[in-house]
Amino acid sequence: MPSISEDLARFLQSGISVLTGTRDAHNVPDATRGIGVRVEVGGDEATVFLPQATSETAQANLRDNGQVAVCFSRAMDHRSMQVKGELVELRPADERDRAFMERYREELAEEWGFVGLPPTVTYRMNTWPAVAVRFRVTAVFVQTPGPGAGAPLPAQVGP
Amino acid sequence: MKVRLSEMSACFQGVIPSMLATCSASGEPNVTSLSHVYLVDDRHVALSCQFFNKTRRNIAENPHATVIVYDPLKFEGYKLGLKFVRSETSGPLFDTMSLRIDAIASHTGMAGVFKLISSDVFEVQTCRRIEGFLLPAEIADTPPKTTVPGPLTELRGLQVVSQRIARAKDLDGLLASTLEALDELLGFQHSMVLVNDDCTQRLVAIASRGYGPGSIGAEVAVGHGLIGKAAERRRMIKLTGLGTELRYGRAIRERHVECGESERLAPEVPLAGLADAQAQLALPLVCGERLVGVLAVESRDPLCFDDWDEAFLQIVASQIAMALDRMQENDEEEPADEVAPAPAAAPQRVRNFVFYRNDDCVFVDGEYLVRNIPGKILWKLLSRRAIAGQREFTNRELRLDPALGLPALKDNLESRLILLRKRLAEKCPEVRIVPVRRGRFALELDCAVELSEKDCG
Repeated sequence: MPSISEDLARFLQSGISVLTGTRDAHNVPDATRGIGVRVEVGGDEATVFLPQATSETAQANLRDNGQVAVCFSRAMDHRSMQVKGELVELRPADERDRAFMERYREELAEEWGFVGLPPTVTYRMNTWPAVAVRFRVTAVFVQTPGPGAGAPLPAQVGP
Repeated sequence: MKVRLSEMSACFQGVIPSMLATCSASGEPNVTSLSHVYLVDDRHVALSCQFFNKTRRNIAENPHATVIVYDPLKFEGYKLGLKFVRSETSGPLFDTMSLRIDAIASHTGMAGVFKLISSDVFEVQTCRRIEGFLLPAEIADTPPKTTVPGPLTELRGLQVVSQRIARAKDLDGLLASTLEALDELLGFQHSMVLVNDDCTQRLVAIASRGYGPGSIGAEVAVGHGLIGKAAERRRMIKLTGLGTELRYGRAIRERHVECGESERLAPEVPLAGLADAQAQLALPLVCGERLVGVLAVESRDPLCFDDWDEAFLQIVASQIAMALDRMQENDEEEPADEVAPAPAAAPQRVRNFVFYRNDDCVFVDGEYLVRNIPGKILWKLLSRRAIAGQREFTNRELRLDPALGLPALKDNLESRLILLRKRLAEKCPEVRIVPVRRGRFALELDCAVELSEKDCG
C-alpha cells in the first residue's frame, strides 16, 4: 500500500493549506478546510483536523462511506499534493491535537503572510472544538498545476 | 445563511484561492485549489479548464461539485453547491476568461502553453455563508480599503479630468495633467499611457505617473502581455489577485541586471511596473476603428478596481483617445515670432552618439537611448545641426522627409517627439528639444556632440 515518506510528511505538515474532500451516499461532494494534518508513525495513516463548526456535512459523509481526499497546497509556489484515504477513526480532537492545531495555525499565518494575507486575519479562523479524522492512505498524487498534475506518486518517495 | 451571488462579487476576483471538490462515478472524492472562480450571472459560475485532469474526468462522470470561495476583505467563506451545465469553447465568456489567462501566460513566457481549453459553466444550486468559520472580530482587523471615494467624489474627479483634457494645449500637458488628476482625485497612483506606432505594431510609453524616471520609452508589442492583449483585442482587461505569477517574470529580469547580464537583454527600456502589483487594468484608447494607444493602471490593492472604477476609467480612456487623435491633426506651425538668438555658451562635455543604421537605434556614450522613428528624427536633428548649423525645426519639414518614414496619415509625430524629449532629458540632459511654438521646436545643446554611424552585428 502507498505510504507517506518522511520528506513528504515534512511538506504536508509545514503550515500549508489543507483542503478536505468527502462525498455523500449520492456522490455529491463536499469541501471543508482542514486545520492541519498529522502523519502517523510509519506513514500508512494520517489524521486531518476539522473544526466542529464547519464540518457537519464532512462528518456525516465520513460516517456514511469513509472516503476522503486531502489536498495540500502551498500558496507561495502552488506546489500541491493530494492524499486519498479511507476512514479509520472519527473522534473529538483532544488537548494534544489542539496544541498541534494551534502550531499549524501559527505556521499557516506565516505562510499566508508571505502572499499578503495579514496574520490577524488567519488567526480569526475558528479551530476549536474540532474532530480528528484518522484515515488509511490509499493513494498519493502530485497536484502542482500544469502538465503532469494528477500523476500518482510511487510508494515511499518524496514529492 | 443563504446569500445572493451578486452580493459577493469580491469573492470572484481571484484574490484568495478557492477550493473545489468533485467525485468520480465510483465514489472517490477529489479536492483541489482553484485560482479563480468566475461569476457569470446570479445563478451561474464558471471554472477555467486549462488541463485535462481528474476534476475534468469527474465532472464528465458526475455533474455535482462543491466550491468554497472567500471574501478577500472579510475573509468570510461561502460554500456553493454546483451542477455542471456545459463547456464553452468560444463566445464572450470564453473570451473574457481566455484574455486573463493569455495575459498571465505571455507575462510569464508561457504564451501558447498555458491556455484556456474551455469555460466550464455550473449552475449554483445552493449558496451559503459558512457559519462558524471565523471567530467574532473583537479586534477590528479588517484591512481598510485604500480607495474610499464614493460615486460623487469620483464624478467630481471625472469632471476635473475631462476639463483638463479639454483645456490641454499640447499632448505632453494633456497626458501629464490627466495622469496627475487620476492620482490626486481618484487615487490611481500608478498609471501610464502608451501610444500605438502603426509602423512597428508596438506600443511605446510616453507618459507615466508613480514609477519614477526611466519608464518612458518602454515598448510592448501589440498582442503581448496584458497591455498588448488589450490593444490587440480592443478590450479592457483587468487582472486581479496576480500573486506570484507576475512577480516571477519580473524577478528573472531583475536577476539578469543584478548579475551584470543586462547586455543579454534586448536594448530596450523595461516596462515600468510594481513588482508587487495585485491588480492591473489596461484600457485600449480607441478612436473610431483606430487604436491610438493604451491607458494602463495598476495597484497594490487587489480590490482597487471595482465595476464602478472600470466604468469611469473607460470614459477617461475615451476622452484621452479623442484628445490624442485631435492633437495629431492640430499641430501645424503657428505664425513665426521673432526668433530668439541662440545662447552662445561654450560647450564643455563631449557626448558621443552612435546611430545603428540597420536597427534605427541610437546609443549615447554606449547606452541605449531611442530607436525607430524617434531615433531617426534625433539623428536628422543632430546631423543637420552638425552640418548646416540648423537650430530650429518644424513638424512640417519632418513630415516631408521621406527618410524618416512617417506614415502619411495619423503619424503620431507629436507623441514621438515627446518620447524623444523625455528620453533625452533622462539619458542626455545636455541635448534638449524645446518647443518654440506650435509646430516648431529648437534643438539646444550644452555639450559638444560627436556623431558616428555603424551597422550592428
